[in-house]
Amino acid sequence: MPHKGKIALATLLMAVSAVCNLLLPTMMSDILDRGFYGAAEGNTFPYIVKTTLWMLAISTVSFGSVVGGYWIVYHVLADYTCDLRQMIFDKVHTMTLEEVGRLGTSNLVTRITHDVGNLNWVVSMICGNLIIIPLMFLGGVLLCMRKDVMLSLVILLAVPVVIAAVLLMSKRMTGLWEVSDKYCDRQNDLVRERLRGIRVIRAFDRETKSHERISDATRVMSDNIIRANIHMSIVDPLACFVLNLAALLVVFLGGVRIERGSGLTAGDIFAVIQYIGIILSSILSVSFAIIMLPHVKVAARRICEVTDSKATDDEQTSNGRTFSGGIELRNLSFAYPGARENALRDLNLTILPGQKVSVIGGTGSGKSTLVSLLMGFRKPTGGQILFDGVDSAECSPQDIRANISCSLQKAMIFSGTIADNLRMGKPDATDEELWDALELAQLADFVREQKAGLDFKLTQAGTNISGGQKQRLAIARAALRDAPIYIFDDSFSALDFLTEAKVRGSINRRTQGRTQIVVTQRVVSAMHSDLIVVLSDGAVVGLGRHEDLLRDCGIYREIFHSQTGGGAE
Amino acid sequence: MSVKKKQTQTKEKKRLFDRNTRRLIRSMKPIRGWLTLSAMLCAVLIGCAVAAPQILGDLIDRLYADTKSGSDQIVAHLLPGLGVLLALYALNAVVTYGNSYLLNTVVTRFYTAGLRVRLSEKLGKLPVSYMDKTPFGDVIDRMMDDVGSMSSIVYNLIEVLMTGFLQMLVIAVFLFFEDWHLALVVVVLSPLSVFLSGKLASLSEKYWHKHFNLGGELFALAEESFTNYPVTKAFNRENAMKEKYAKLNRTHQQNGIAANFLSAIVQPAIVFVDALAYIVIALVGGWLITKHGVPIGTVVTVILFARQMSTPLERIAFGLGESQQVKAASKRVFDLLDLPEEPDAAGEAPKPVKGHVEFDKVCFSYDPEKPLIRNLTMDVQPGQKIAIVGPTGAGKTTIVNLLMRFYDIQSGEIRIDGRNTAEMSRSEARKLFAMVLQETWLFKGTVAENVAYGCPDATREQIVEACESAYCDRFIRALPDGYDTVISEDSTNISSGQKQLLTIARALLADRSLLILDEATSNVDTRTELLLQKAMDRLMGGRTSFVIAHRLSTIVNADTILVIRDGQIVEQGKHRDLLARRGFYYELFTSQYRI
Repeated sequence: MPHKGKIALATLLMAVSAVCNLLLPTMMSDILDRGFYGAAEGNTFPYIVKTTLWMLAISTVSFGSVVGGYWIVYHVLADYTCDLRQMIFDKVHTMTLEEVGRLGTSNLVTRITHDVGNLNWVVSMICGNLIIIPLMFLGGVLLCMRKDVMLSLVILLAVPVVIAAVLLMSKRMTGLWEVSDKYCDRQNDLVRERLRGIRVIRAFDRETKSHERISDATRVMSDNIIRANIHMSIVDPLACFVLNLAALLVVFLGGVRIERGSGLTAGDIFAVIQYIGIILSSILSVSFAIIMLPHVKVAARRICEVTDSKATDDEQTSNGRTFSGGIELRNLSFAYPGARENALRDLNLTILPGQKVSVIGGTGSGKSTLVSLLMGFRKPTGGQILFDGVDSAECSPQDIRANISCSLQKAMIFSGTIADNLRMGKPDATDEELWDALELAQLADFVREQKAGLDFKLTQAGTNISGGQKQRLAIARAALRDAPIYIFDDSFSALDFLTEAKVRGSINRRTQGRTQIVVTQRVVSAMHSDLIVVLSDGAVVGLGRHEDLLRDCGIYREIFHSQTGGGAE
Repeated sequence: MSVKKKQTQTKEKKRLFDRNTRRLIRSMKPIRGWLTLSAMLCAVLIGCAVAAPQILGDLIDRLYADTKSGSDQIVAHLLPGLGVLLALYALNAVVTYGNSYLLNTVVTRFYTAGLRVRLSEKLGKLPVSYMDKTPFGDVIDRMMDDVGSMSSIVYNLIEVLMTGFLQMLVIAVFLFFEDWHLALVVVVLSPLSVFLSGKLASLSEKYWHKHFNLGGELFALAEESFTNYPVTKAFNRENAMKEKYAKLNRTHQQNGIAANFLSAIVQPAIVFVDALAYIVIALVGGWLITKHGVPIGTVVTVILFARQMSTPLERIAFGLGESQQVKAASKRVFDLLDLPEEPDAAGEAPKPVKGHVEFDKVCFSYDPEKPLIRNLTMDVQPGQKIAIVGPTGAGKTTIVNLLMRFYDIQSGEIRIDGRNTAEMSRSEARKLFAMVLQETWLFKGTVAENVAYGCPDATREQIVEACESAYCDRFIRALPDGYDTVISEDSTNISSGQKQLLTIARALLADRSLLILDEATSNVDTRTELLLQKAMDRLMGGRTSFVIAHRLSTIVNADTILVIRDGQIVEQGKHRDLLARRGFYYELFTSQYRI
């Protein structure tokens, strides 16, 4: 709570304004009693003028303090929200990949935007008004008591009834909103599914069916929204009715008291009615926020789930070590959390500095798992990875990644210019270096064709370029960086053979003398390597050069024949 | 000349704007009966709102009079008025609830849902090119959020705007009946608060607009950094990302302060101006009472009314502001509804079909400035297996788009058994083909429903048979609920290779005469591919098939290989002949073995 002082000040200002607002009806009733009704006994006009001037002063103070209050409230709130967002964002950026995967990208996005937004909105509603309600309530009751204890009882009774009703409704709303949100999501999913499957749907002539599915979901959704809204719309008339009833009761009881001669005046009754009006309007303005409160509880819980996560990269201090490129795997095993079987089993492998190594295997053979272990994204569950003879567990992940330049399986593109994307790999690269890397990745021609050149704007996820272009951009990004080890994880899959051959050729020239690991499903990408590692079900089933494997390794032979039809022998 | 052009442009814009508003109002036609009823209920509410303070004022007056005269009948005098008020308040509560019940039900069910259904219907009639061009999020946004805001205008129009105007009018008239001096004060002062709140609102609107836009950017940045997190990590760029986010986050929040603050002080500002009005009325009232002997009750009633006057004015201001937003939303919805629909012919497909496919001087391009397919001519005999190869971007998938009539050719003809496909209805033409695409698409439903997608009447036996032929029966049986397991595009309980097998089973069951396989084995590992190959050979038996593939094993056995480059067939023939020719195919084929 770094804003304690400011919050206290804001509360004070709000309270001042509330008290002022409560004083106004009292003065109004004074004008009625002494000014208007007293007019028969003498000239009361000067009294009226004096009182109205007081009212003007009090109104101004009230307005000024409420403006000041809001000014502070929104500054505090903005800082709070901004810090909360930053906290989540920073926290995510220290998490392990595994944790981010477990929480899910879209979930994290929802938390940092919608959940924080919801929290912010409701807090802002409450900040302004929630302070005022109890003040108005207490103040109203106190002033009433000054006028007449009996009348104050009416308020004391009516207000809790209304608040209880609002709270009760809010509790019931939670379930209703949950259901209607769920159906809203369902409809979203259906539309998305239909848009995505447009070709298949039309090929099989099922547009009508798709439309029916959406229409049905729409109807169910609207029924649920109606149910929720109808429940919610009880609050307003109910609150109004109860408080109006209270006003009537005040008039009635007031009449009784006056009849018995208790010194109560008509002006007092008028004032009490005004209090009820003020209380009513402040309750109504927060009733909506109160109904949303359960929503906020959920939001807060979800945010805490992120900020309380313990799964962060351990903070080994980086010491700027430079590797020579030698890698050794010793009995390396890995199992995904909760998985029964190991994804990698007992891998033993020595890669010499400067070697060109290919890892080949089908889907699910463990290739990409191996890459994430090498990159330090995940920790081995058994055995070791040694860089220059040093256990990777003793290196900081930052150091490991500084020594490996990697083009990941999914070519992830950031919105921004081509230059921005390339410079992810090397922030201080010159334009020549960028062009060099583009040339290497066979993308220079495309960039030259664009009017903006290197400043060509890529949309989010690179939707304005093709899959092959994205892949080549990722290759260029990795090649731009000077590192002792290069990893290309399934980086050629979207390229046709001609382009792939050219890119592979220039990569080989570029990484001369550096360790290069190519992970692939295509046998043709692997066959010219110094060392080919054949993975199957997480274990090494073949190790050697192309010719040796063709002779000795059944699985390799099978892959080779199925992919080439034996044409290259 | 350019000035003139600009003028006509703005004129057009203005007219378009009005057209949209008119259309928005017209779109409420189906529920106009209910809206009229709701308007009547609102009139009742206004009646209550006007009558109640009047009676309350009288009661207070009576109290004063009785107090002064020392009457012993005070309570008795109050009772009739209290009774009427009780009835009015009860009526008010019941009608308020009834009205929101009515509006909610009618608007949501017949308007919101109705519009969404219409949009969904429209989606079915739009060309594939629209879906290819438009981000899905945009379409969904129009269907959900924009329609949602359009419905809010219906509430606003009835509840806010109409009620507001009526209430204001009635109150003003009443006030003038009470006392014209005081009425004048109210009529002059009340709009002041509206003016003030309007000014503040429009001031804050600018900040809100910016705040929303920045919010969108912030959202996109968070989404992007979380999605691309592995890259950030791989390049040790976490701190750079944090800084980037922090910068945008700050700007976003700074704008938020101004927007929130300006919006928040609208209400206190109105209260303040109301208080001013109060004070002036008290002064004028006091002057009238003391100097001119106007009855006190009149002044009390006016004070109570003045309080009521600001409510409808606030409502009107709010409603007008809101309707600006709604105009933007409804334009987006109407734009979607107005998009040109795909024209369709009525002709039937040849039955039974032999599978003789001819391309006759076909020309096509997605972008008129970049011609893609020019004068493509080919003749495919029934039962032939045609492989299409070529570098990325050569137009292979385009041929699928044209065969399936997802896109229409610009000139030339595609004939099946001698009949021009452009003269058949699209659904007839499509029914000739079964199709397996690289992008497996499954809808949320059971495995059996998905396999039977092209043939909804298939029995369970037929489904199982198709799955057995596509080698997926075994893994389906291993699923928790077998054929009744619910799967979807995002489901992780089956692998991408298995999804592809399911799409092959789907094509098998559909049993169409012609077949299209577009990179159908791309997600599959080698072992599964061997199975798939068998399944596909079975699928292709006797059918005219078009196969697009990266993997050469699928290509070498084709009857004819078409080599496409820049939208043209540059070579065609059998694998061995093409290799012997040492042309482009040879280059493509051997390039894979180069270092």
